[in-house]
Amino acid sequence: MLVNVRRRSSDETPPAIRTEQDEQALVERIQAGEKELFYALIRPHERSVYVAALAILQNEADAEEVAQDTFLKALTHLGQFRWQAKFSTWLIQIAVNEARMRKRKNHLEVMRPLEEHTEEEGYYTPREFADWREIPSEALERKEIRNALVQALSSLAQVYREVFVLRDVHEFSIAETAAALGISVGAVKTRLLRARLMLRDLLAPGLDGTWTSRLSFQKGNKPWT
Amino acid sequence: MDLSCEDVWREISNYIDNDLDPHQRAALGAHLGQCRNCAALLEGTRNVIRLYQDERLLALPAGFTKRLHRKLRAEIQGPPGSAFGWAVSLAAACVLGAVFLFANLHQFAQPELKSAHSQPAARWPAGPVAVSDDGKIFHVANCPFLHGKWKLVATREAIQKGYSPCVRCMREYLKVDRGPESWEPGVEFAEEVESDGAQ
Repeated sequence: MLVNVRRRSSDETPPAIRTEQDEQALVERIQAGEKELFYALIRPHERSVYVAALAILQNEADAEEVAQDTFLKALTHLGQFRWQAKFSTWLIQIAVNEARMRKRKNHLEVMRPLEEHTEEEGYYTPREFADWREIPSEALERKEIRNALVQALSSLAQVYREVFVLRDVHEFSIAETAAALGISVGAVKTRLLRARLMLRDLLAPGLDGTWTSRLSFQKGNKPWT
Repeated sequence: MDLSCEDVWREISNYIDNDLDPHQRAALGAHLGQCRNCAALLEGTRNVIRLYQDERLLALPAGFTKRLHRKLRAEIQGPPGSAFGWAVSLAAACVLGAVFLFANLHQFAQPELKSAHSQPAARWPAGPVAVSDDGKIFHVANCPFLHGKWKLVATREAIQKGYSPCVRCMREYLKVDRGPESWEPGVEFAEEVESDGAQ
């Protein structure tokens, strides 16, 4: 019952696959003055930075601006980058900080705090045990299914959403996720467990197979509560 | 080691991440092999993760890269066309400056003045000026400071020979026009003693 996952849409030119050594060489050349290479350096990270910002801000325009600011800041401070973390982790750290600052500035933290802090107490109990029916990758061609998945992710509290995005969407390690978000490894694991189970509850197909119907909840009305 | 379903739920994320010690992992595996609900939970959670890893789901907005590069370009190359623009502007300024300098070289070429204390001419009077043979200043013909034998000469000739404008009758042609507000004690006296016939 595996889903065939396509990692990149067909209308995009995939960024060249490169090793960490290639990336390090690129960074060194840019630091030495070949600034034009910066475009190539960041190409594989554009989506991850944008999605990390989106996970926090939940607004495409704001996320794009934050992503731009992130790359601009990375370019400005690249001379100070010393490989204490992977380049991708460093970028995401900048993006997370920028997005959090933007969110504070926009006064968007209105409805979340109680939920975010109380839900970490105790363990999350799954409420849906129906057999998971296979969702073919072709299903993602359907806009309503993509929207449903995005909506489910959006309905999570920010603390769960950002951990899930870094760990499961960008496939950061637990330690990298903790470093990027500035939280402990334990907090990452707890939040990740909750995020995964909450999303699974939201997306698990019912016995009638109408799995997307349960996603028509209103914003702020969490089906798992 | 028998595990309850609650025990499995708590560790299911670590099980997916292979972040359990071998004993724990074996115990969870045994439970998952027998418990249909927990197996469904595991499979469903894995599928959720796989779905979200598909890049079609959280794709970059159309034109993202183009807009990003536009924003970065200013930092990487400076404002669009600025380097070229600066070069063209500088070259044009140099050419114009050279042409202007060449065309007006005679005005800028300052001959050695006959009087070390007089002000050179800033511009030329339109008509001829009066100079005396042993003087250092040029005047209008009826200037009271014009003494001795004098003659009219072209202004350019007078300047090229080192004559300076008279501070009385040619004040407006001095390089430094001393108006009443910039008057300093002693300056006028110095000018007077340098005027022709009183030197």
